[in-house]
Amino acid sequence: MAKVAITVNGSEGVNVFGPFILGSSAIASGDELVLFFTPAGAPSMVKGVIEKMEGKGLPNLLELYEGVRVLGAKIFVCELALEAKDLKKEDFREGVEIVGATTFINEIKDATITFSF
Amino acid sequence: MATKTLDTLGLKCPQPILKVAIMAPQLNAGDILEVVADCESFPNDIKAWAEKTGKTLLFCTDEGGGKHKAQIQF
Repeated sequence: MAKVAITVNGSEGVNVFGPFILGSSAIASGDELVLFFTPAGAPSMVKGVIEKMEGKGLPNLLELYEGVRVLGAKIFVCELALEAKDLKKEDFREGVEIVGATTFINEIKDATITFSF
Repeated sequence: MATKTLDTLGLKCPQPILKVAIMAPQLNAGDILEVVADCESFPNDIKAWAEKTGKTLLFCTDEGGGKHKAQIQF
């Protein structure tokens, strides 16, 4: 099975749906999944945000989020987001890990599939 | 051997497959999971999922009205 690494570079629906749709498809079929939210993507992982994101004909984002968590996805938020976006660790939703870029890079050293949104 | 059912009607891709994957640990080798879905890509997606995870797709039939019924043997 593959390891899939996806970076999320914005907090709009166009940035967030893709990672969770492709990521959940991957982890559902046995791949490992690592998501990395850059400071620009980090606000989408604040509590209550994805609950409000909807798109016509698109799946339920919260269910995808909870689903990938159940299946063991790593969901990283770049620690630079804390100061850059005036956020605190406790602002983020359950399941998110605040990590440095080095941790992410080490985690994905054997990733064979990568996406950037 | 047990048969379990999963209703994913109304859910969009890839939620049906995600639900199958979440339910998978509850099934033992030989058990059958019957899934009902009305997501357009479901027939191809469940075939791909079964191939990739080494499960046997017994059938995936068109039930009319955009509905599909599949049985997967674990």
